[in-house]
Amino acid sequence: MPLVLSLLYQFGTGAAFFFLAALGLVVILGMMNIINLAHGELMMIGAYTATLTYHAGVPFWLSVILSFFVAAAFGAVLELLIVRRFYGRQLGALVVTWGVSLVLGQGTLLFFGPFLPSIGIPGGSFSYGDFSFSAYWLILVLISLLLILGLWWLYNRTPYGLQAKATMQNADMARSLGVRTPLIYTLTFSLGAGLAGLSGALLAPTVTIAPFMGQQFVAPAFITVVVGGSANVIAGAVASSALLAAVKTPIGMAFGAFSGTVALLLAALIIIRIMPNGISASLQKFFNRRAGGAMR
Amino acid sequence: MKTIIGLIAGGGDIGRTRVFWIGFGVIVLLFLLYPTQTSAFRVSNVSFYLLNIPLGLGMALLWGYCGVLSFGHVAYFGIAGYTYGVIAGNMSGHPLGPLAGVAGGLLASAFVAGIFGYFVFYARVQKWIIPILTLVLTLLLETFLGQTAGYQWRIGSVLLGGYNGMTGIPWFQLGGFVFEGYSFYYLCLLVVLACYFSLRMLVNSNFGQVIVAIREDEVRTELLGYDIRARQLVVFVLSAMLAGLSGLLYVQWGNYITPSQVGLLQAALPVIWAAVGGTTSLLAVVISAFTLNWVTYTLSSQGNQYAMVIIGTLLVVTMLFFPRGIVVMVAERLGRLTTRRTASSKP
Repeated sequence: MPLVLSLLYQFGTGAAFFFLAALGLVVILGMMNIINLAHGELMMIGAYTATLTYHAGVPFWLSVILSFFVAAAFGAVLELLIVRRFYGRQLGALVVTWGVSLVLGQGTLLFFGPFLPSIGIPGGSFSYGDFSFSAYWLILVLISLLLILGLWWLYNRTPYGLQAKATMQNADMARSLGVRTPLIYTLTFSLGAGLAGLSGALLAPTVTIAPFMGQQFVAPAFITVVVGGSANVIAGAVASSALLAAVKTPIGMAFGAFSGTVALLLAALIIIRIMPNGISASLQKFFNRRAGGAMR
Repeated sequence: MKTIIGLIAGGGDIGRTRVFWIGFGVIVLLFLLYPTQTSAFRVSNVSFYLLNIPLGLGMALLWGYCGVLSFGHVAYFGIAGYTYGVIAGNMSGHPLGPLAGVAGGLLASAFVAGIFGYFVFYARVQKWIIPILTLVLTLLLETFLGQTAGYQWRIGSVLLGGYNGMTGIPWFQLGGFVFEGYSFYYLCLLVVLACYFSLRMLVNSNFGQVIVAIREDEVRTELLGYDIRARQLVVFVLSAMLAGLSGLLYVQWGNYITPSQVGLLQAALPVIWAAVGGTTSLLAVVISAFTLNWVTYTLSSQGNQYAMVIIGTLLVVTMLFFPRGIVVMVAERLGRLTTRRTASSKP
């Protein structure tokens, strides 16, 4: 029983890590069809805000919320100044956001030095049988679930969600119906950036705080997004986080962390070979077929 | 011979006037004479700027002409470099060692690119997935090479060396002739010219026309009966081998390679050379690769930490204000000026 619980815990925290790492990215990709390669640096900004404010005496949870707003503000500026000009030019947007990420990473190195003092993991740990569990990671799993619910609520129950979905489906039509689409784009990019900052702050106690810390999230975040696909990003991200955690947990436990990451890349290559548009497209097809069958 | 000239002079690149070819000849002549006028140290630096050009050309071919973007071409640079180090290092003393290393390095790059390309092109993935996965591949390679410190990580008699990298990689040699110093400079120059002219012929050939057609409209090209997946795969492997060629020259130049050569910062460089020069012109990328290498190398060897900030800003500014590339746009402006002045001299 403790072994099963431990495996479940490993799986749950793994999935939460993938989901948190990819969160801001999927919001921007799903709504605006833009890949934000500065994603890792936005997470870094979140982590830096949390660390600096935490050491200045702000309570940890407040500094996490603060980092959401700092990263969101940064995202809004980025959208207004640069990203705005690249709608509809996916590869151009990729390259320009990469340039931004270089400047941010190197700029942080010059400005704040090679590292910051870390935040201790809050919450302590408890043990059951021979295994010990970190309370903080369990909280992160819980927060991931809350974020999924929150995003669902935002996109299905609020005026912003309705307008955003309308803009995504047909920007011209939405504009002629009175939706201020440029504002929607700015808000969405800002939301994605804020969520990246939030994830960065939440994961900050578990990693080293350094200018290029964003790099370690690049591989898991982008693999999650590639596997999830862009048909329905939230569902795709949830499904692919779970799937990737299911691949990584056993292999990582048996052969070490690096083998686990290699297995992720191989899994991603095989999955896109079978489902070129990601899990979410395949899921959608499956459910559409079932719904069609039921109607008949 | 006539077809070769026809292929070189075709419409696939900037620079087709007589004035241009005279200028081109003069510049090649200056490069040939350069070692007689300066110190061995400077010649070695210029060799470094030159040896990166094939990597840039590979990016231009793949991104500019075929419309496929890769953020991980330094992975093939590194694979070829490390493979050369292992093979030539194990055969050290044997006159054929370096040649076998070159062959092995190019084959290794082509092999990895072939497998990777098969998965992405035959899956017909969306355009944004390829850059992401190539980036992940190169990050994984860096992580892997970084943890290969220690005596247990050796192939034959060569240590992989972890973050300190592989050292003592042999020079290139043909028979008994060793390429180092001035002779290595001329080797680099020869390789760059050979790559440039063969690629210029390639993009003007039927194959080149088809890959440009794929860039413009995949569905239409496929409906005309071309297998776009196979052609994209061939271009991908070819550009990976060009990256590998740069990797080979790099390890022959400095006799060492470290995992940071396949890291995120290095991975950005070829993309920046291509974007700043203008991806749709081979010559523009040659010019910008040479110039930007010169600038970054000079800045970073003076201990200037702002090199990457400057290069990153340059990329953002180029993408915002010169979307077709700075060199290409300057060349077009010049071309318009000269044609206006001497409208009749155009052949």
